[in-house]
Amino acid sequence: MSSDAGSLQPQILAYLESRFPDGRDHELHNVHRIAVGWSHETWLFDLVFNERGSTQTLGLCLRRDPGNALLRHLSDLEQQFRVLQCLERTALPAPKPFWFERDPEILGAPFLVMEKVNGVCPSPWGREGRAFYGAAAARGRLPQSFTETLATLHTLDWRVAGLEFLGVPAAGTDFARREIGKWKELIAVSEHAPEPILTDLVCWLEANMPHTDRVTLVHGAYRTGNLLIEGDRISAVLDWELQVLGDPMYDVAYVLSDLNREGTPLLSNLVDRDAFFRDYEARTGFTIDEAVCRYYDALYAMRSVAFWMSASGLYASGRSSDLRLARTAWSVPVVLARAARDLNYWVDRAKL
Amino acid sequence: MNEADLLQRIAQTLRQEIAPALDAEYPKTQAFMAAVVLDKVGRQIALAPAHAVAAAAELNGLIGDLNATAGDVPQAVRDAIAELARARSADSLSRLVEVLYSSKSALGERRFDELLARVRRALRGDIERRMEFAE
Repeated sequence: MSSDAGSLQPQILAYLESRFPDGRDHELHNVHRIAVGWSHETWLFDLVFNERGSTQTLGLCLRRDPGNALLRHLSDLEQQFRVLQCLERTALPAPKPFWFERDPEILGAPFLVMEKVNGVCPSPWGREGRAFYGAAAARGRLPQSFTETLATLHTLDWRVAGLEFLGVPAAGTDFARREIGKWKELIAVSEHAPEPILTDLVCWLEANMPHTDRVTLVHGAYRTGNLLIEGDRISAVLDWELQVLGDPMYDVAYVLSDLNREGTPLLSNLVDRDAFFRDYEARTGFTIDEAVCRYYDALYAMRSVAFWMSASGLYASGRSSDLRLARTAWSVPVVLARAARDLNYWVDRAKL
Repeated sequence: MNEADLLQRIAQTLRQEIAPALDAEYPKTQAFMAAVVLDKVGRQIALAPAHAVAAAAELNGLIGDLNATAGDVPQAVRDAIAELARARSADSLSRLVEVLYSSKSALGERRFDELLARVRRALRGDIERRMEFAE
């Protein structure tokens, strides 16, 4: 546990005591802080207390908005809480939300408390994570659960679930326009030096926006590493920060993207491409449009540039002292090089 | 020892001596990350003189080619080319790209493709140089 988590522990305990006033002898056990620096601060712990003579144990997850999250003003814990409340009424596995507090007097910043769902969430970027997903891929059940859960996400009735507050895009190009606008906004507030390749990419995206007639809930970052796994099944979809209502192909493109696999042909380090196409299309009734997915892959390049510009800008401006954010200044040209390849920069048509 | 060598030497110290001596996970990660950043800055500084020469030559070539064709393009494109020649900045190059897209119908598909491809050829050189220290 970090020193920051340690310093907050008495306030967290006091808050939870107020939530269970009939209990006695409240204690926090197994306190563990994760996800330092990039986004919301996250603590996992067990609340143990005595109620009417018996010991109660409640696994909880607390997320606090540090005020310098990567997504800046686009990051909204209250919206995340509302989404989780809506998802409770659906078949999608997601953590049960308990409380959201806006008052910074309690823990110094807004926070939410939700259920700590059983499961593991290995990072797909490390050797151990890749080995975990590789072994799971060979067994076969987890890849099916991965696709099945995405299909559940894309076929749930978002109107019935009450998710309209996320904003419903109009038919046509409105969804792509909204996404481009959002990432342009993040790029603008990051105050990064102009990048002509990024300008080219954004102009190209604006000139080629696909039409979207089908609107579903879209997670925005559906991949291994954002999914909790228990017994070779997805036990919870995590990281509800980028969700929108829009084109399901936006999520499919993320699954197909080579951004989310390293040294393996398996999608998201886990799923065979042909099996994903077959199972996803069978479960949703949607046909995967690869041309549209390629468009969204380019949009993800723009989003990645926006993330890295925001992250390095947070460090440069002194709002974060995490050197991992400083490091992302060099991720900007890496993503731009990828975007340039996608825009056929190396296919030389210059006649001048 | 020049500045680039010095930074790479400091990065080596951070990586091999300071980070391994730290027990706590967060400061250890930060020390390793500081080494990564210093390595990149060191490489960037070492390559900067050669990159500056190549970038200037490339920009001269781009401006020359664009000026040679400026007679038959819309005024907005001519203005953007003139501004690039004056400012020689990433900002003015970005502006030229924007103007090319917004003038696409006036330019026609073929002319637009030719001009954009020429700009992209210059940008390609820039990103290839940056990748020498970014990866």
